[in-house]
Amino acid sequence: MTIHLSIILFLPLATGLLGAFLPRGLARWAVLAGTVAVLAYTVALLADFDGGGGLQYVTDDEWIPELGIRYQLGIDGLNLFMVALTAIAWVPCTLVAAFRQHDRPKLFFFNLALAETAVLGAFLAQDLALFIVFFDLMLVPFYFMIGGWGTGDRVRATTKFMIYTLAGSLLMLAAAVALGVLSTPDGGEISFSLADLQQRSVSEGTQQWMVLLFALAFFVKAPLFPLHGWVPETYRSSPIVTIALLSGVLSKVGVYGFLRIVLPVMPEGAQHWQELFIIVAVFSILYGSILAFSQDNLRLVLAYSSIAQLGFIVLGIFALEDKGAQGAVFQMLNHGLVVVPLFLIVGVIAERARGSESLSELGGMAFRAPVLAALFLIITFATLAMPGSGNFVGELLVLFGTFEDKLVYGLVASVGVVLAAVYMIRVFQGTMHNRPGPDVEPGEIDGLHLAAIAPLVAVIVALGVYPHFVVHRTEKATTAAIQEARGIGQEVANR
Amino acid sequence: MSGTSYGWLVLAFPLVGTLAIAFGWLGGLRGRTAGWIASGAIFGAFLSAIGALIQLQDQPEESRSLVDSAWTYVATGDVKVDLAILVDPLSVFMCLVVSGVSFLIHVYSVAYMGGDRGYTRFFAYLNFFVFSMLLLVLASNFVLLIVGWAFVGAASYLLISFWYRRETATRAGIKAFVINVIGDVGLVVAAFLLLDQTGALDYAGVFAQADHVFGHNDGTLVAACLLILVGAFAKSAQLPLHTWLPDAMEGPTPVSALIHAATMVTAGVYLIARTHPLFELAPAAADVGAIIGTATLVFAATVAVAVTDLKRTIAYSTISQIGYMVLGVSVFAYGAGMFHLMTHAFFKALLFMGAGSVISAMGGIQDMDRMGGFRKAMPFTFAAFTAGALALAAFPFTSGFFSKDEILAFTLERGGWYVVLAIAGYAGAALTAFYAFRMVFRVFYGNPVEEARELEQGHIAHHPPSNPATGEPEDTDVGFPAEEHHIAEREWPMRAAMGPLAVLALLAGVVQVPGVSDVIEKFLEPTFADSHFHDTAPSDSSEWVGLLLGGLISVAGIAAAYHAYVRRRGITLQLRDRFPRVHAFLVNKWYFDELFEALFVRPVATAGGFGRAVIETRFVQGFIVGGATGVVRVGSSLARAVQTGYLRAYALLLLLGVALLILYFLLASS
Repeated sequence: MTIHLSIILFLPLATGLLGAFLPRGLARWAVLAGTVAVLAYTVALLADFDGGGGLQYVTDDEWIPELGIRYQLGIDGLNLFMVALTAIAWVPCTLVAAFRQHDRPKLFFFNLALAETAVLGAFLAQDLALFIVFFDLMLVPFYFMIGGWGTGDRVRATTKFMIYTLAGSLLMLAAAVALGVLSTPDGGEISFSLADLQQRSVSEGTQQWMVLLFALAFFVKAPLFPLHGWVPETYRSSPIVTIALLSGVLSKVGVYGFLRIVLPVMPEGAQHWQELFIIVAVFSILYGSILAFSQDNLRLVLAYSSIAQLGFIVLGIFALEDKGAQGAVFQMLNHGLVVVPLFLIVGVIAERARGSESLSELGGMAFRAPVLAALFLIITFATLAMPGSGNFVGELLVLFGTFEDKLVYGLVASVGVVLAAVYMIRVFQGTMHNRPGPDVEPGEIDGLHLAAIAPLVAVIVALGVYPHFVVHRTEKATTAAIQEARGIGQEVANR
Repeated sequence: MSGTSYGWLVLAFPLVGTLAIAFGWLGGLRGRTAGWIASGAIFGAFLSAIGALIQLQDQPEESRSLVDSAWTYVATGDVKVDLAILVDPLSVFMCLVVSGVSFLIHVYSVAYMGGDRGYTRFFAYLNFFVFSMLLLVLASNFVLLIVGWAFVGAASYLLISFWYRRETATRAGIKAFVINVIGDVGLVVAAFLLLDQTGALDYAGVFAQADHVFGHNDGTLVAACLLILVGAFAKSAQLPLHTWLPDAMEGPTPVSALIHAATMVTAGVYLIARTHPLFELAPAAADVGAIIGTATLVFAATVAVAVTDLKRTIAYSTISQIGYMVLGVSVFAYGAGMFHLMTHAFFKALLFMGAGSVISAMGGIQDMDRMGGFRKAMPFTFAAFTAGALALAAFPFTSGFFSKDEILAFTLERGGWYVVLAIAGYAGAALTAFYAFRMVFRVFYGNPVEEARELEQGHIAHHPPSNPATGEPEDTDVGFPAEEHHIAEREWPMRAAMGPLAVLALLAGVVQVPGVSDVIEKFLEPTFADSHFHDTAPSDSSEWVGLLLGGLISVAGIAAAYHAYVRRRGITLQLRDRFPRVHAFLVNKWYFDELFEALFVRPVATAGGFGRAVIETRFVQGFIVGGATGVVRVGSSLARAVQTGYLRAYALLLLLGVALLILYFLLASS
């Protein structure tokens, strides 16, 4: 079966454009159909994918030959499930937006569709310049969605969001250009193709500062402490589906960049900063968990919990050990799968509490909404990485990988596991249990949200029962991604 | 069918039961049907366990350890985990105890929970609990064990906070859950250490390698065993991780009987027995287990003497009795430990059922100070509760008599400083007999209270629904816990559950009488055949000496309770007034809750406040964001010259900068 990645990539954008010219009632169906078609195509991809093979379904065309930039797409174990996550996450979010977004809906749908194309592009790109193009393209629709449809102090939120992410990606751009230029051999052609960059080399000293610039961009996006200054306002002001996608999917692009670009292309530089990045990750785990525990606003609890979860992922990657990296890749998928429905549930709760999203005003909803409570409960357990969930397997592998060489960091990170139990159960109880809060008018989950959330819960449960489905397919590429940096680390240790 | 097929069936029944009830509820399933479906599912599991037992006994002794894998759970690098079960005498023994006792408690609950608005939800949770517990005991590797371990914790959490409108219940739930997660983390780290050293995560692989890679008291192995103990102690409520169990009494009484007495809390004992090859190689860790078990049994017994809440008294008694079991398996008396696990499941479940009946008759009140004289009003409950109390007090020839004293006889047999542990165990036994009958005499003897008199006239007391812990009134629109109350005297399912347990509590000791029978020891032998402590079993005669001593202590304890609570009522009040400090110390449970509050809860809360108030505002927003906006401000003041908005100017400036950088590199390279 031939699978053309360009179809997956541009289908959302095409339907978004199409929707712009359709009447309002039809536009939503067009955009929705686009996301569903991408999902269907991705399922075919998952079925067809060869776990033992390398990069597959490659598309490789010239784009800007003068600058050595190619239109290069491909799928391997690293991005297979990131593409799947994108496809899975966009369907329920588009569904909810399609029936809940009444203000300038067509424009919103277009932004949503453009965002999907951009994110898919960032995941699929096999050329560094192409990656950066899509990486920055992601900002545009999100900027408009937050600024145009957000609530509260959205101007301040978008400003901060833009400053942080723009600063990050411009630093990355500078580093990328430098990388392309410095790695060009004498008399050779400049190239940004990742495969070429991996073959060529730049000196260790140069790699070190380049890695740092890339890391700044990726840490801002993740986000990790202390580069999360944009998080509180953005999370508070964004439309709920936007923030669900931002937190669930966009945050993965950064950490994915480490595995796709930083570690294979600049292994010495990555290895050089290993200790620092691990410390940042561990600190983010603890700091995010403790802050999540002391927030009152539901979105902020999830915001800080994401900082902690992303800390786990970065920890797994920079443990530079096969199990840890495997766990990180799996956890990237798992975290996205739980965060998206969590935010959608926040939306459901707010609809039943006169817009309130603060724990101190909520409570006691389970009695009139047992189905909502049951779905929420399963997602809560998965989020806190309860054994039996895919998240547990991911975290277990991350911890096992970290223990291998960095036992103490791993043990400190384990404290985060306990803290996660505290803040997630606190959220569940604070909304579903105890006495009803002053603003709560409890009601059962509506059909729209049920249709959006229940399939995600089914996927979460399925991954808990058979995690090997993912792990088996990601193993080869993940091991290859960290191989070189890992080897350098071992050499250093032996010396 | 093979033994493992029966093993899978054991798991399938309660899982299907859970799903059937949950989805049945969506389809309109109401009323007692849910309770009967749940009970039927557990009975199916019990029958399947018997099937597994029969299949196992057909095998020759050395091959009574069957593993069957459903599919690969996760495999990457050196981690290889199958979704596989292990059917051997130990797991089958546990399956029988768990499913058998669970079945009776399900039947009891059918009536006891009647009228509760959460009836269907209750049975879905209860079946899920049994599934988790059976998964825990049937797991054939550490990862699946941890999965069952955590599921059990989750089920326990859900059932503790079952009446979730009560803040005391939800707080107790989160406390139990978090302490259980601490245990999970301990097990995860232990599993890593074992994987790292032995290259395996399944029991057979780890134990086979352990002999080769670990020396006697190898440091890593001792660490791994201590971490296993962290897991075991969190689940089994041993010092210092016990504080969640008394609070767990916020759950409905059948939950206390099933989860917080008979099954889940004994998982730690099972775990130590399961991993005995490791503990035998690391006796230092086993000694830690024995010492903590002993300390716990004495500590909890002293608290049980002082508290007046009926359910919490039994909860401390559970902590204390599990201390005996931990002591038993830690001194490598596996048969004795498992024997006590079984008899304790019988008599403790029975005590809780009796207590539930009494609490119902009291209209929801749990304080023993308010109770008295129920003997005539509730003859059946009185008889059953007394049977349970006799077994708990290890009264001669009851089940607890044989099982508890076997543990202490083994401990004595080890000699040396273990004698101190045995003596502490006997001291604890005296306290046990005393508090067991303190409950009997305070609840059933003396002048009948108003509720008892009402019941004698034929109607059950109803108080306005209120939280027994705080006294605050309950939301009536929610209706749980049920306003109507059910007592054993009037409900046949409750009697049908308590009757067999009362018989078992009194007579189950016959399976293991020194010099007469040793059914359990013999049955479990294939699992423990590799034990190096096979020959240290005490002789029959020394066991009988121990039994005589234990019997005397038991009778003396009961007599003391009779003296204090029947013959000379009020003597305890005098004691309390004489030693107020001692009393306060005991009633406040040795101030463990306060200690943890000060050590962990408050520091984390303070750190959170500090993070929010100082780090977030001063550092992240003030320094980093402030720095960034400072740059922007400079940029925008520059940009004002060209009359643009500052964001655009900022982007422009950065782009300009990057363009310059690009230019530089392009120039530099040429």
